[in-house]
Amino acid sequence: MTEDNFEKFVKKTAQSYNTPPVRVPRDEMWAAIQAKRGAGPRVVYGGGASARVTHERRFGTRVWLGAAAAAMLLVATGVGIGRWTASKAAAPVAANPSLPVPPVTVTPDQTSAGTISPTQVATAGAQISRPTVSASAPKRGQTSSTVVGDVRGGQSRVAVVTPRQANSPSSAYQLTAVQYLSETEALLTSFRSRSSADQQMDAQLGTWARQLLTNTRLLLDSPVGDDPQRRPLLQDLELVLVQVVQQLSPGSTPQDRELIEKTLQHDHVMTRLRTAIPAGAQRGS
Amino acid sequence: MQLVAYESRSSVNDTQLITRVVAGDAAAERELYETYVDRIYRLTFRLAGDDELARDFTQATFIRAFEKIGSFRGESSLSTWLHSIGLSVTLNGLRKTKRQRNREAPIEEGITVGFARPEAEPDLKERLARAIDSLAEKYRTVFVMHDVEGYTHEEISEAMSIPIGTSKSHLFQARSKLRVMLADFAPEWVS
Repeated sequence: MTEDNFEKFVKKTAQSYNTPPVRVPRDEMWAAIQAKRGAGPRVVYGGGASARVTHERRFGTRVWLGAAAAAMLLVATGVGIGRWTASKAAAPVAANPSLPVPPVTVTPDQTSAGTISPTQVATAGAQISRPTVSASAPKRGQTSSTVVGDVRGGQSRVAVVTPRQANSPSSAYQLTAVQYLSETEALLTSFRSRSSADQQMDAQLGTWARQLLTNTRLLLDSPVGDDPQRRPLLQDLELVLVQVVQQLSPGSTPQDRELIEKTLQHDHVMTRLRTAIPAGAQRGS
Repeated sequence: MQLVAYESRSSVNDTQLITRVVAGDAAAERELYETYVDRIYRLTFRLAGDDELARDFTQATFIRAFEKIGSFRGESSLSTWLHSIGLSVTLNGLRKTKRQRNREAPIEEGITVGFARPEAEPDLKERLARAIDSLAEKYRTVFVMHDVEGYTHEEISEAMSIPIGTSKSHLFQARSKLRVMLADFAPEWVS
């Protein structure tokens, strides 16, 4: 009797367990199903095609993970090369008085025409006897130069370093930055067009976003981050990527996604991002 | 009850519907969806306890069903076949979600999962909900399907690919455990 009572009691009380809403969101789910099926591999009915479709999806997964890993490796390598080349370029001025790689050789006659500007001359150790070399004061349309000199045997050996070389990231950094921006654009585009129904894709996007977030922070700490034009963009991308990572984590809400959209639209992040990628640069995929 | 309405569909109707879907008839796809979506969604919601997850699982169920319907041999009813897909999608999805949440939850929080705290939860429904949540997956699934959603043991056994006897045994185990966990509320059912 007690058993029957408990059965009735528990059946009745359990009706309140995870009560579904009265209205089933039929249309919304149907739209999502159609969008997902339209976006994914073409569905071919019949048992024979299923193996091929599965293979294509698995291959797609590998491509995504591979692309993310490659992007991570490329950025890390680029930053490493950039730092290495930057330290090599700085070394002769700071430590090597003989300037082992003098890019320009200038005779005193050649320099005499120029205006000597001692502030632009960096002494390269004790062997420099006098500030014999100079660069013309910058005129409109010209680039001012900093000259590092060494005088031996009647010849001045100078290394001309333009401000672009001195203040801008090296080409390795530039290449890395462009690749990074392309990857980020691809990620954000994929994120915005994704369906919330695909948990596998969410997991892949989450991994990719975390790697790009790491790259963003690496770049912010590199000479690329010193670029006054790129730094604000990198900072905005860091914020967006943090939001994307959070949104792709379990427990996120649809409001999180709206927040990302607002950030992207309010700060014109996508427009700035696309503008920052030079025409002809390979887009991330 | 809704279940009766769905089961009253003749196998002839289902066969015709499947034939049309396999032939690429978009209207037939929608008809199949409209016929079964409420039932699938309700079950996934009961098991997931979350609207977004329930939507995701329901959508994934139909996507998978449309992909595989060409291999449907009619050995069971279309409803049973769809429910087996739905259960598979839902239980796998919940396992993944649980793993992710366990990884992210602090250790202290993880330890308390599944333990009832009678003094802190005087509300019967809340206690029952926690007790059901703490059941092993197989017991919880059978309990929810049978006692909450009204499936028969035959339907449960086909959808879960288990013998009917096992379904009954799981239900018995589930109720026994719930009874122990809700012992504080014994006067509610003894009276």
